Amino acid sequence: MMNDKKVLMQVRDLSVNYKTRLGMVSAVDHVSFDIYEGEILGLVGESGCGKSTMGKALMRMIQPPGRITGGKLILDDNDIMTYDEKQMQDFRGRKVSMIFQDPMTSLNPVQRVDEHLVEAIQVHFPGITKEEALVRSSELLEKLGIQSNRMGSYPHQLSGGMRQRVMVALGLILNANLIIADEATTSLDVIVEAKLADQFRDIREEFGVTMLVITHNIALVAELSDRLAVMYAGHVVEIGSVYDVFDNPLHPYTIGLLYSVPNIRLDDEKELYKMPGEPPNLTHPPGGCRFHPRCPKAMDICSQKEPDLIEVSPGRHVKCWLFQEHPEEAEESVEVTL
Amino acid sequence: MTDMHNNPQFENNDYLVEVEHMKKYFPVQTGFIDQLLSRERDFVRAVDDVSFKIRRGEVLGLAGESGSGKTTIGRVTIGLEEKTEGEVKFDGVDLSTLRAEELRKLRRRMQVIFQDPMASLNPRMSLGNAISQGLEIHYPETKEQHRDIVLEVMEKVGLSPALFYYNKFPHQISGGQRQRVVIARALVTKPELVLADEPIAMADVSVRAQLLDLMVQLKNEFNLTFLFITHDLATAKYICDRIGILYLGKIVEISDLREVYAHPLHPYTIALLAAVPVPNPHERRKEPMPKGEIPNPIHPPSGCRFHPRCPYAQDICSVEEPQLRELRPGHQVACHFAEQFQ
Amino acid sequence: MKKDIENNPTQAQSSETPDWLLDLDKVGFIRRIFLARKWYGGDWWFVAISAVLLLFIIIVGVFPQWFAPYDPSAEVGPSLLEPGVAPSSYVLVAPIEAGEITLVDIGDKSNNIGFIIGSPASQALREATDTLNDAAPEGVRYQPRQMRYETLAEGLDALAAGEIDGFVAAPDVLENVLDGYPTLRIANTLREDASKGFVMGTNQIGQDVFSRIIWGTRIALIVGLSSAIVSLVIGVPLGLISGFTGGPLDRILTLIMDSLYSFPGLILAISIAAVLGAGIGNIIVSIAVLYIPTYYRIVRGQTLAVKKELYVEAARSLGTSKLKILTKYIFPNVIPSVVIIFSVNVGDAILTEAGLSFLGFGLPPNTPDWGIDLARGQDYVRRAWWLITYPGLMVTMVTLSFSMLGESLSEILNPKLTER
Repeated sequence: MMNDKKVLMQVRDLSVNYKTRLGMVSAVDHVSFDIYEGEILGLVGESGCGKSTMGKALMRMIQPPGRITGGKLILDDNDIMTYDEKQMQDFRGRKVSMIFQDPMTSLNPVQRVDEHLVEAIQVHFPGITKEEALVRSSELLEKLGIQSNRMGSYPHQLSGGMRQRVMVALGLILNANLIIADEATTSLDVIVEAKLADQFRDIREEFGVTMLVITHNIALVAELSDRLAVMYAGHVVEIGSVYDVFDNPLHPYTIGLLYSVPNIRLDDEKELYKMPGEPPNLTHPPGGCRFHPRCPKAMDICSQKEPDLIEVSPGRHVKCWLFQEHPEEAEESVEVTL
Repeated sequence: MTDMHNNPQFENNDYLVEVEHMKKYFPVQTGFIDQLLSRERDFVRAVDDVSFKIRRGEVLGLAGESGSGKTTIGRVTIGLEEKTEGEVKFDGVDLSTLRAEELRKLRRRMQVIFQDPMASLNPRMSLGNAISQGLEIHYPETKEQHRDIVLEVMEKVGLSPALFYYNKFPHQISGGQRQRVVIARALVTKPELVLADEPIAMADVSVRAQLLDLMVQLKNEFNLTFLFITHDLATAKYICDRIGILYLGKIVEISDLREVYAHPLHPYTIALLAAVPVPNPHERRKEPMPKGEIPNPIHPPSGCRFHPRCPYAQDICSVEEPQLRELRPGHQVACHFAEQFQ
Repeated sequence: MKKDIENNPTQAQSSETPDWLLDLDKVGFIRRIFLARKWYGGDWWFVAISAVLLLFIIIVGVFPQWFAPYDPSAEVGPSLLEPGVAPSSYVLVAPIEAGEITLVDIGDKSNNIGFIIGSPASQALREATDTLNDAAPEGVRYQPRQMRYETLAEGLDALAAGEIDGFVAAPDVLENVLDGYPTLRIANTLREDASKGFVMGTNQIGQDVFSRIIWGTRIALIVGLSSAIVSLVIGVPLGLISGFTGGPLDRILTLIMDSLYSFPGLILAISIAAVLGAGIGNIIVSIAVLYIPTYYRIVRGQTLAVKKELYVEAARSLGTSKLKILTKYIFPNVIPSVVIIFSVNVGDAILTEAGLSFLGFGLPPNTPDWGIDLARGQDYVRRAWWLITYPGLMVTMVTLSFSMLGESLSEILNPKLTER
């Protein structure tokens, strides 16, 4: 579902580092991509690939020992990296909001549901009265499937699925343009997860909200998203429409990943692909392309030089030497002309 | 991988595990005043009358969401918890007839692979030491051979070179490797029954396939019987022979896995199977999900526990609890109106 | 591309160990220490400093004779001598007609020698007398009778009047005064200016403060370490058993320990010391009892927490006996916190011991002990500040070193440090 390709947010050359006892971890390394208005973009990868860090970085919520070491984040023609703290406080919640994995710890246990929402409104729109805020909150909650009689409940009185919906409401109540869902369904039961996924689709239809769904659940991304970005060891290695990527994965990691995901359908008889090796240690990332130690198609160049993320067909980007000219090749051609 | 297609229906009646009418209730903590007023105690009915059998060499899956009781069933079957009611037989022996010491010795034959490898390994014990614990406890007389046995098992589970990993500690290796250690530890006494409680849920996506494959290989090599607890129906497909679907402490459907997936007969199973996301954007779910949420296990709904959420519920469903009945060969389901799904 | 994947041989043994990890293992011990410095981060100097300090303290405590210039109980100098100041000279004043007499002439029992009461002159006289006695042949003994006078004037009057044979005083005191006594003059020097003083001064009795605190280290360490060890040996097993078994035993023990714990420490120690009496063994016991509840509580709490951990349940599922669970699974995971308490405990025990001695309980009064010195020095805060400053500094330093060690140990013993 590619709608008007208006870009909502541009990420350019973003880098995030963490200082750990073992050394400097480059969690996100010079990553660039666009988020289009109204789309659901899935960001997948395994644990440690940097996707959660990326999500936090988009809201400039990286805390020490982590640091955004470079790059631009452009929303509405403004680079939010240049915002001061006051502008960021306004930005967070109103332009971009986040739904976290564990709603129990991200909701204030001593605040009722309606209080959460009203507070959010009043912080960003001080002019609105409490009554107005309550009305808005209950309307939104009803839309999300929480009856008004639950509005006075405390987080611990609600189930996991309901708490997540309160988080969604918090994200929507301020009409944020972009909602980042960081492993929002990981701790939920299967049916609840399915309903929440339906909810995401609904709010996109109804509110025109753009969503960035960060998850390690490949199947969820297939169900839900329009476009898909695959991350490995701090890099985006492939990005494109979800149909393109699933039908024709290009990057060897994507291929391996997609073939290693269990499929419940009985007509899928394939054996699961076992990717060799383990996700790398980001204090000593492999040189060149970070995936090369595990890549069945690795060439010499792959251990020496890192490929760029280039567009191989409209809307499709891959970061792999298989789809780019090697400098060696280029040199060869130079020699020939000599 | 299991060649499920060529596997004939298990002909033998050699049951390693027999569970009859298992019940496990956990008392709810009541306050001091309530105790004084001696009100009737509330119980979390985690497992409420569950019966099943596991044949030697088969992998029985128990699948369900939270509150289904699957983990508790596993723990009671293997003797880590005491049942409230019912009978649990291992190789014909009723576990409750055993004294503590006898049960402890029986452990050699039934082992556990836990969900969280980091938490289930002693952080202060080296890997080799941890794996050899089973041997130390049950075969103390062959002490000299322990190290070699352990090294061999470590190689088998993929911790190679074994000598390198023998002296390492859990925090020095990756999550996938830790789970291999847990598997090695479980297998070192050559058990017959293995309880696998969500064994790959916490591993990385690319590592899960490796671990699944490893478990299948080891199962075939050592002729193991698995009780495989999972919430992930997609994964279950690759390892389980039979599968039981649990809801709120009861088995609602149980049969051969392919049979259940191809012909689900219970509304909950149908919904559950539909809810599992498929890694193929061309096959997105169109079915709606049941309304409501899993109810409180302290006060489960009357009659059929699923009836408040069931789109097919009728009056009888809230009154009479359906029993498991065989509708298709080897396929049991607990629903008054299961016929409509055939 | 898809075909390649499908034809890929699927093995279980595909978890390759990355090369750098294998290489790391081959690296030698020295390099590992340097690497340890790397992973340990910036605080390694904390450990290094506290380790060096403590090593030094322990060496001093074990071999005080290498460091202490004097015997701590010997009167080696004038009393209350300032640090660094050399003891001044003393001269013998005598009637002019007596000639240039020295102490030898007026040194025996029949002679009277006077000095100002309370002045260091008496010590100078004593020292001179002792020196003579050491050099004297058998049978000869110098022991002049000592006459004390309130003021210099009285003394000189008495000398002029012939009541005493000589008068000892410091030359600067006599300077102008002697002019008023035409019959008297400085006969001889009793004692030369000493070339060096005492680096930390002397106390009231004339003992060298520096030597005393050096020797005091030994006592402090002995008492501190012994009492900490006793507390540990009793408190830890009790905590382990109590936490592991629970039930009525646990409740009774907790009750006892909590009651002990709620006593203000020093008072409890005093009561026990009062009952047991003096002596170093009894002090160790009293202080030990003080800390047993601390070990008990911490260990019991940790045991309760570890008992619930998944790896303990995994051990149970393996068929591990209860004793083995306690010793192999619970104990090793509880020990790190104990080590930390121990190091802080020693520092604290030293403080308590100093306090007890300060109050007069426990150690025999002649022992070179910081607490005792502190007690004796309290009246001289203005006059002789060095009497309490140096012992106080030592107590602080040693306690601090042990606490620093405890802090740094808590960092090291955390097994999550080398996590990937």
